[in-house]
Amino acid sequence: MSELTTATTYQLSAPPPVARKFWQLHHRQRIRLWGFAFVLPTLLFFAVFKYGPMMWAIDLSFNSYDMVSAPQFVGLGNYRALFGDPIFRETLVNTFVYIAGSTLLTTVIGLMLALAINTGIPGARHCMTAMFLTNLMPIIAVCLVWRFLLHPYGLVNQMLQPLGVSRIDWLTSSSTAMPAIIMVTVWRFAPYFMVIFLAALLALPEDYYEAAELDGAGAIRRFFHITLPLLMPTIFFVVVVSALLCARIFLMPYLITGGGPGNATRVLSMLIYETGFSYLKMGQAAAISVVLFTIMMVFTALQIRLFSRSEQVYM
Amino acid sequence: MTTLDTARAPHATRSLTRHLPALRKGIGLLLLVALAIAFLIPILWMTVMSFQEGGKMFNLRTEWIPKVWHFENYPNAISRAPFVQYFINSGIVSLTVMIGNVVFCTLAGYGLAKFRFPGSGLVLLLILSTLMLPLEVTLVPTFLIVHKFEWINTYQGIVAPLLIDAFGVFLMRQSILSIPTDYIEAARIDGAGELRILLQIIVPQCLPALSVLAIFSFRDSWDQFLWPLTVVSIDALRTYPLGLVQFGEEYGNPATEQMAIAVLATLPVFLLFLILQRSVNRGFGLSGLK
Repeated sequence: MSELTTATTYQLSAPPPVARKFWQLHHRQRIRLWGFAFVLPTLLFFAVFKYGPMMWAIDLSFNSYDMVSAPQFVGLGNYRALFGDPIFRETLVNTFVYIAGSTLLTTVIGLMLALAINTGIPGARHCMTAMFLTNLMPIIAVCLVWRFLLHPYGLVNQMLQPLGVSRIDWLTSSSTAMPAIIMVTVWRFAPYFMVIFLAALLALPEDYYEAAELDGAGAIRRFFHITLPLLMPTIFFVVVVSALLCARIFLMPYLITGGGPGNATRVLSMLIYETGFSYLKMGQAAAISVVLFTIMMVFTALQIRLFSRSEQVYM
Repeated sequence: MTTLDTARAPHATRSLTRHLPALRKGIGLLLLVALAIAFLIPILWMTVMSFQEGGKMFNLRTEWIPKVWHFENYPNAISRAPFVQYFINSGIVSLTVMIGNVVFCTLAGYGLAKFRFPGSGLVLLLILSTLMLPLEVTLVPTFLIVHKFEWINTYQGIVAPLLIDAFGVFLMRQSILSIPTDYIEAARIDGAGELRILLQIIVPQCLPALSVLAIFSFRDSWDQFLWPLTVVSIDALRTYPLGLVQFGEEYGNPATEQMAIAVLATLPVFLLFLILQRSVNRGFGLSGLK
């Protein structure tokens, strides 16, 4: 009897912890639900405006569609037509040349600018702010201004004249049009990457440099043996971000050269717009989208690996 | 004599070493300023040309200081095309996109940084993967979707696909990750609701990141050309980039007036940067810079 009572008292005293545990679980679940609720609008938005369109593009790329009559299944017809088209192949090559050239130069020049700012010279901060303005100027203004600057009688040729360079038809010669577009890109993006490099440089531990200086290492040796290795993750990050930015470039070639001369500066995003909205070949345009998407997927995969490692993220 | 010399010698060398870096700093600063000016030349050129006489733009030698300042280029340009309407349209679009990004990226960034719910890792991956789906890639189907919503030639049609950007979500997530979770737990114990925690604890601590987000999302939508070009076909809804390009294509419009509009278009972004500059510098982690 007494054993029974102890058992019941035990059982009676047992519920509180169970109940509290249940309440705690409930509380935790409620918090989790809040977390999900915070992310939900973004997820729904991306479902409608990112994943949906992408799946539609893949589907559309196997069809012929002009927005008037119903889509017609053509299998791989669009892709076969694309890769048989010399203009598409030239555009694809242009896109790669543009990505490679711009990324290489913006990274190198961005790093050099950051090193110049980081020399501890007073007033360097204001120089940085001034240079960063090129990144804030509306891209449309950038394109209009540079179209005039690169005119045969424009400012660029005027400034090159004292150096003994004869007049260059930057935008109308097929050998200089792409370098000209890359030059404008570098002017636009290098100061932005300068800021990212600068943040990384400021975060480097100072004692490495003090130790190296005590050992008598010069500035150049310090750069190659300390700064550069420590900066490798940032350099990799900048290269990937720059490649992603350059892969989707549209306005610069569209406004500065119109894709010309011939097709010398035509890039994939321009071809998507023209094929879809000038020629109303929506299926074909979707196929080009899938090609561009594939290129960007490679860079994004690299980007995701970086994000999962690094602490800092910039726009 | 000799004692005097030896007494003075160390002092002299010290002052020499003190002056040499100063000289080097001076030269360095000069070079830096030259570099900054080199980068600013196109912006200066644009500004000067917006006050120049129409024909001076194609002079063989650039006239950096106008002989006559043609301030009338500005009112003339505005009167030739409905630029006031274009700028209002751009303003509506950019401010909406900026607010959308600030609100939704903060919410999502907080959700991803401080909550573990089933599938949160997958959600992170899903959001990151949209980096490979910019509007340039999904242009055709996005147009078809907006067409289905019957949003062609509407403000919501221009704004909708730009409203949230994955970069913003990640910027906010990384910024919120550095806020100690203890603060949040303490507030919960004190009985604060989740929204109150977000507004009163999280937001005040990530103002630098929010400033960076605000300025970049404003710039990117203010810059947007391809999407309005695709989705807008009536004059009343054109944003200023479309108007400016059309202005340049129409015969007889002086290029100097085009520059005037370009200057006006540059001002809002520079102004926003000026207001947020200190905070933006901290957002980038540049507060240690001299």
